[in-house]
Order: sequence, then C-alpha cells, then structure tokens
Amino acid sequence: MIETTLPRGNVLPRIRPWLGIAAAASFVVASVMALFWAPTDAVQGDVYRILYVHVPLAWLAYLAFVIVFLASVGWLWTKRPFFDAVAVASAEIGVLFTGLFLVAGSIWAKPTWGVWWIMFVMYVGYLLLRGLSTDFSRRATRAAVFGIIAVIDVPIVHLSVLWANSLHQLPTVLRAAGSPALDSSMLLTLMISLFAYTLIYAYFMSARVSLELARQGRLWTQT
Amino acid sequence: MDRIVLVAARELRAERRQPDGVVAAVTFIAVLVLLESLVVGPQIARDADVASALFWLALAFATILATMRSFDRELEDDALEGLVALPGGRDALFGGKVLSLAIVLVLVATIGGVLSLVLLDLPVGLPAHLLIVVLLGVLALPPIVVVDVVLALRLRARAALVPILALPVLVPQLVAATRGTSAALTGDAVGALSWAGLLFAFAVVYTVIGLTIVPAAIE
Amino acid sequence: MRTMQSSASLHDATVVMDDRVILRAVNVVVGPGLTLVRGPNGSGKTTLLRALAGLVPLARGDRRLSGDVLYIGHRPMLLRGLTARENLEFFARFRGGDTHAIDGALRAWGVGEEMDRPVERLSAGERRRAALARVETERVPVLLLDEPFADLDDAGVTRLRQTIARAREDGRAVVVATHAHRELDELAGSQIAIDDGAATAA
Repeated sequence: MIETTLPRGNVLPRIRPWLGIAAAASFVVASVMALFWAPTDAVQGDVYRILYVHVPLAWLAYLAFVIVFLASVGWLWTKRPFFDAVAVASAEIGVLFTGLFLVAGSIWAKPTWGVWWIMFVMYVGYLLLRGLSTDFSRRATRAAVFGIIAVIDVPIVHLSVLWANSLHQLPTVLRAAGSPALDSSMLLTLMISLFAYTLIYAYFMSARVSLELARQGRLWTQT
Repeated sequence: MDRIVLVAARELRAERRQPDGVVAAVTFIAVLVLLESLVVGPQIARDADVASALFWLALAFATILATMRSFDRELEDDALEGLVALPGGRDALFGGKVLSLAIVLVLVATIGGVLSLVLLDLPVGLPAHLLIVVLLGVLALPPIVVVDVVLALRLRARAALVPILALPVLVPQLVAATRGTSAALTGDAVGALSWAGLLFAFAVVYTVIGLTIVPAAIE
Repeated sequence: MRTMQSSASLHDATVVMDDRVILRAVNVVVGPGLTLVRGPNGSGKTTLLRALAGLVPLARGDRRLSGDVLYIGHRPMLLRGLTARENLEFFARFRGGDTHAIDGALRAWGVGEEMDRPVERLSAGERRRAALARVETERVPVLLLDEPFADLDDAGVTRLRQTIARAREDGRAVVVATHAHRELDELAGSQIAIDDGAATAA
C-alpha cells in the first residue's frame, strides 16, 4: 500500500533560507581560502588549486549516489513517496556534480575517467528511466531497483578498473587529499571546501525535495 | 526451486520452436568478428586482448538481444501476465529467465567462440581455463540484463534504454571476462583463474540481488 | 473443491494508473457462486478483476484471498512458440497440480485437433477456447473471467455457460465481467455494478 499523505511537520521551507545563507557563506570562505590563503604547491604551482574544487565534487558525486541508494531502499521498503522525492532530487543534483567533476578533471589531471564516466552514465540512465515512465508508483519502483543495482555496482567498478589498469584515477585524487605531504593549511582548506560543498548539496536537496513533494501533493489530492 | 526450472524449461521450449533469439545473437557475433578483422587488419585482430574484448562486447550485446526477444515474446498475447498471475509467478520469473538465458548464451558463446578462434586463427594457451572463464562470464551477464529488460518493459524507446542501463553496470563483468579470456589465451593460468573467481562472485551477487528485488518491479 | 472455502475481497481499494484514478475506495466481497460485474466500457471492470487477481498495486486499501485465483483476461495469455497443451501443462505443473485432465479438456473445448500446434497458428477463437479450458485444468477456488465470451462462436458460448454453471455448482467463486449475456443473471448470486471507478452491489 502506498502512503499517500505528505509527511507532517514539513520543516524544510523554514530551514532552507538559513541553509542557503550558510552554504553561500561557507562557499565564499572556502573559495577565498582555496584561491589565496592556501600556500602555493612546491611542485605543481598554482594549478593544483583546482584540487579544492575537484575533490569536493568527487565527494558529492559519491554522496549523492549513496543517498539515491538509501532513498531507493526506503521507497521499496516503506512505499512512502518522500523517499522517491529524495531519490530523484539526489540523482539530479548528483548528475550535475558528476558532470562538473568530469569538466574540472579534464582541466586538471590526466584522463582515465572510466569510473566517473560510468557513474555519470548511470545517473543519466536513472533519470532517463524515470523520464520514460508515466505512472508514479511504477516509476518510483523501477527507479529504486535500478538505483540499488547501479550504486552497488560502483565500488565493484572501482575495484575491477583498479586491478585491470596501471593508471588509475581514484587513488590519484585520494592520494592528493590524504597524503602526509599535504601541508596542514592545505588540509584545512580542503576540509572547509568539503564542508561548503556539502552544505550546497544540502541546500539544493531541500529545495528539490520540497518541489517534488509539492508535485506529489497535487497528484494525491485527486484520490 | 523447481518452479524456476519450469519457467526455464518453458522458455527453452519456446526458443527451440522460434529460435530467432539464438540466431540473431550468433549472427551478430559472427558479423562483428568478421568486421573487426577487416577493419583493424588480421594482425591486430589476433591480439589476445583485442580479440577477447571484442568477443565479450559482442556477447554483451547478444545477451541484450536475446533477453529482449524473450520478453517481447512474453508480451505477445499477454503471456507474461498469465505467468505473473500465478502464485509465486513473479518470484520464479527472474530465476527462470536467467537460467534459460544462461543456457542459450552458453550455446551462443560456444558457437561464437569457435567461430572467432577459427576466423582469427587464434592460438589457445589453456583450453580448459578458457572454457571455465567463458562459462562463468556467460553466467555473470544475464542477471543484470534481465533486471534492466524487466525495468524497461513497457516503456517507449526500450531498445535504446536497455543498453544504457545495462552496459555501465556490466563493466566489471566485461573487464574480468576480457582479462580472464586473454589470460587463458596467452597461457597465464593464475590470471585466468583469479578472473574466473571474480566472475563467479559477480554471478552469485547479482543473481541474489535480482532474486530479492526484481519481483517487486514486475507488473 | 467443495470443501475448500473460496472467497476474494477488496477493502477500500483505490487504484491509480498513469496518474488517473481507476478505482475509488472499492469494497467488494466475492464468495462461492457466480458474481457478475457489469458496467460501461472504461468503467474499471477489467481493473477490478485485475485488482482481485493481484495484478495491479493498490494505492490504498487491501486485498484478501482465501485461495488461489485463476485470472483469464482479454488476451489469451498463452506463450507463443508453445502448443496449447504445453501452455496448459506449464500452468498446471506450476500450481503443483497434475496434467492428466488437459487432453480431455482441450478436446471438450473443440481444440483437440489443434492442441499440438503452436498457438500462434491458432485462430483467435481457438486461442480463447484453449485459454478457457484452464478453468477445468486448474482446479482453483476463485475464477476471474474478463469478457470471456469474446471471440466465441455459438458452440463456444454454450460450452462456456455450462462451464460457469458447473463451476458454480462445485462451490467455486466465479466472477464474470461482461456487458451482455443477461441470461447469466438468473444464475448469479450477486451482481456488482461499476461506473467510473465506483462499485456498488446491484
């Protein structure tokens, strides 16, 4: 049975302005730190600074993916439309950030983008699947099943690409983030950037989920 | 589960009388192999990595073709509904389709594989290992493709949608199968067996996941 | 069969498809005997039967069954590439029943000669009759027949009426959706009228 009432006590509209302000503020702080405050790298010069965009984008791409997975499980388990709203919101934001990641990456690092392109295509496939469905409940279930399978696949893809290739993208990014050679001020800048981008994600999510719940509300008031 | 076997047997019997799925798949592989050796030249085509990659890509598409044909047949006259309306129908459908497709694909892979070996004049380092890798690789493909065909079942443009959904998810299987096949061809026993082990793990994981969540998605 | 309780019901069932409401808060209880479902085209007759069969998800409400259901819809629901006999054998075996009644049933329904031909080479009427033979080859307590008289000639119509009467005598719950065949009214224990998604006992 599908729960047709909207979640009561929807706090999202009230939090959102504050979330937006916090996200904007921390983004400004993070950008200033990334561009000016963090020291110039001894080896790579100033070009390395794109790392402060690149790594957070990677983090968001993963985060959004995981949220799609959790929301998909939530829908299949409880059939509450709220979970479907969260899933589609996270997928749309995720495809955006994964796309930006690919663009940023092509500016900065050497390619073997296999893994990330795959994630991008999976996001797109997810949204295509939703786009072609007409019926609300079937669309949610179809999307949820695909979401679960796609996300479970991602770590497997990483591992198999890793084993198969000598060039691998992921460790390069992680190494840059976690290497002991990273100056402490660089690390701090990175942490702040991660925090800022996460807030941006949260802000976009709250807006998109509210929009989706409103659309669902218009649908269910018929019944 | 003998109901799964019943569904698989039903599928195989229908396929035997209307073998257009198998024929299309084998023809597809043959055409691709021929095309490849013409386009890149016999020297490159004979390279173990290249030949393996092409074989498995062709087999992935062949799986998609065969699965879509199988479900198209189900949609004629609403035969699928007859099955789903039975108690336990939804649960047996996934397992039955995967099992029957695996059997069909073993046949397709054997014919296509022998064809490739002959046409490209490929030396085979470890025949037994090659058989194991191909067998396990073939088992690892249907679970994902069946899920995707079920998800796309009554949608427009599903012929385009299914490859988009299936191929990214199949990348690990295809990587493992290609590496394993290449290893078996060049005589790397350890490599072949480790990739084969990975393929077995894929087959198990995706079959289990499919058996659990696909029944909910069938309508 | 006679000792098995047979019933199916929907409680406050709402079905939404393609964002349109097809059934609204439908309450229906079907017990042994013949229940007729009547209503104009597009009223939701088919969806009501499919909901009872468990083929459509309910946006609200629930469905209760006390036995297995045999649903025979508009289309024959037989797999092409198989013969009529093979199709019915599959269904019977899947339900854990036996297959010895199949030959006789198919013959009685006038597809004895054709039972070993692949179903794509049967006419629409022959396919319909093969599908209806399932009433006898699958001994389940609840029967849902959606416009079963379509594509039948006079002999087929007579045969179907006899089959429905016999099923009713056997204590099975038979639900027939039809917009004609008023002669069934006298056999019917209850009738359901459905219009624009709302069902009422008539």
